[in-house]
Amino acid sequence: MASGHEHHGNAHAHHGPRVLPANLAAPEVLTAWRTRLLIAAVLFALLSVPFAFSHEGKNHLLRAYLMGFMTCFGFAGGGLVMLMLQYVSGGKWGLVLRRPLEAMTRTLGLVAVMFLPVLLLMKHLYQWALYPTAEATAQALAAGAIDAEHAMTANAKRVMLSPSAMWFQSLVVFGVLGLFAFLLNKWSLQRDADPEAGTQASYDRWRVKFENLSGPGIFIYVVMLTDAAIVWIKSLDVTWYSSIWGLQFLVGQGYAVLALSILTVILLSRFEPMKSILRTTEQHDLGKFAFAFVMLNIYLTFAEFLIIWSGNVPDEIPWYLNRIHGGWWVVCSADFIFHWVIPFTLLLSRDLKRNKNKMVWLTCWMIFARCVDMFWLIEPNFSDAAGNLHLHNNIGILAYITVPATLLSLWGAFYLTQLKARPLLNLNDPHVEEILEPEHAH
Amino acid sequence: MPPREGIYGLLAEFNTPTELVQATEAARAAGYRRMECYTPYPVEEAAEALNVHTNRVPLVCLLGGLMGLTTAYLMETWVNVWSYPLNIAGRPLFSWPAFIIPAYEWTILFAGLSAAFGMMALNGLPQLYHPVFNAPNFRNGATTDKFFLCLEAADPKFSLTDTRAFLEQFPAVSVVEVDH
Repeated sequence: MASGHEHHGNAHAHHGPRVLPANLAAPEVLTAWRTRLLIAAVLFALLSVPFAFSHEGKNHLLRAYLMGFMTCFGFAGGGLVMLMLQYVSGGKWGLVLRRPLEAMTRTLGLVAVMFLPVLLLMKHLYQWALYPTAEATAQALAAGAIDAEHAMTANAKRVMLSPSAMWFQSLVVFGVLGLFAFLLNKWSLQRDADPEAGTQASYDRWRVKFENLSGPGIFIYVVMLTDAAIVWIKSLDVTWYSSIWGLQFLVGQGYAVLALSILTVILLSRFEPMKSILRTTEQHDLGKFAFAFVMLNIYLTFAEFLIIWSGNVPDEIPWYLNRIHGGWWVVCSADFIFHWVIPFTLLLSRDLKRNKNKMVWLTCWMIFARCVDMFWLIEPNFSDAAGNLHLHNNIGILAYITVPATLLSLWGAFYLTQLKARPLLNLNDPHVEEILEPEHAH
Repeated sequence: MPPREGIYGLLAEFNTPTELVQATEAARAAGYRRMECYTPYPVEEAAEALNVHTNRVPLVCLLGGLMGLTTAYLMETWVNVWSYPLNIAGRPLFSWPAFIIPAYEWTILFAGLSAAFGMMALNGLPQLYHPVFNAPNFRNGATTDKFFLCLEAADPKFSLTDTRAFLEQFPAVSVVEVDH
């Protein structure tokens, strides 16, 4: 199509390039949205308090907190990897999402602070933290608190799963991710302040610089996330092995981050400057990208299930049995329907991908589906819930609604603060000219 | 069917896609609907001017996909449960998780083939004869560097004199009659 554009790019006045607004600052309405989120955070926190006095309530609060933390971490870390991905892949979609993604990475500090309660209270969550030494494990085995399989695997995994190793790994993960987030954010401002901004030399220099950091960065992120997902979530069941676990979290994060960034840019596009920046073409592309993540997500999760189902090995299947039997079948099916069936069938439609209101609803739904999935991953790890989903005398399980909602609202408020801190478009980028070109109905 | 006779339409030749798109937009605004643009490469603005963006290919693709899904799933069920039941490691004969991958592959295969062949069928292909090739300038230019707009005689608004006058107001290289 390039030759076609050359011939008649300026032929029609109403088809000519649009003008970028002079003021690229985020709209004032973000302050109001932030206030609403803070109010929601307080309300959900208040709603969570009564659960502390119910049976097993404190444990549920902590587990629900872990779920909320992991969802927030998914946005911060997933935002970082998506930011690096758009630097190495290029493309107009990346320019449109760049500032929202940067804002997500700048929440890493808050997310690290959010993790402190988990670190401090880890012995209430992780069996390996409750019995941190071989002697403690042997005593627990003798007392009948754990079985032989748990004792043996806990001893074999001690190097990775012990309180000091947990602190060390968490510090490394947050340190490394923080370093990448810091550099990418710093350079992004320097790129706009470049005295040679707008020249080919400047474009090339910055492109190469970002690519060289982002390429290795994506690899390092995958390693970090695999470690973090194993230590923070998978080790809740010390006997569980899975080599695809890190990738599953990666794809889940991509799914949630895309949903949140599409939601962000569409909501912002009701106001300038995003109104002029976001074209239907890019929204359509982002919808297709989200569709790919919906597919990849079900592909990885179902492939793992199918392999374990086919193998039918007693070591592996209890993990799924705990998540299917005793009422969990409902959550498991809901997870599949919410996570895949609904977004998949809806995103097939071209018109829906190009419709702003419908995409707002769908992206909210996708974020909700991530939370259902996280609940299904976390709660059945604990012996009182494994293969036994029940509400009777277990009202604290509802904390899985209120606590993550508190954390997500709080995180969202901080995200909006960060989003407001910078202009909504990275100007020193050759794609800026392209997104101002007239749209074509593809 | 007896051979169709008479005029197929009026064919205007343009040197640039811009002129073609402007003429097409004007023709649509003037009420013409039975018309077609012919260009040596895809000109999206021309498609836009013709307003041909909604078509039935997505529906054909969806139906093909559903057909592949049900065919494969029912076939696997029939083979494994009734036609040739095998005890594989004590699993139930109707082992639905194992059926999903082939059913999924068939969905993609049928959807892809339906989209490709459906697109061709809806385009009226294969077509061995098209009247516009009767115009000598079309044969020379349509695949190299000329842009054509054909207003068809089947359009109720078509009139040999008025339509010719309408097309001649544009900077067309030529306006020729095309016979069936």
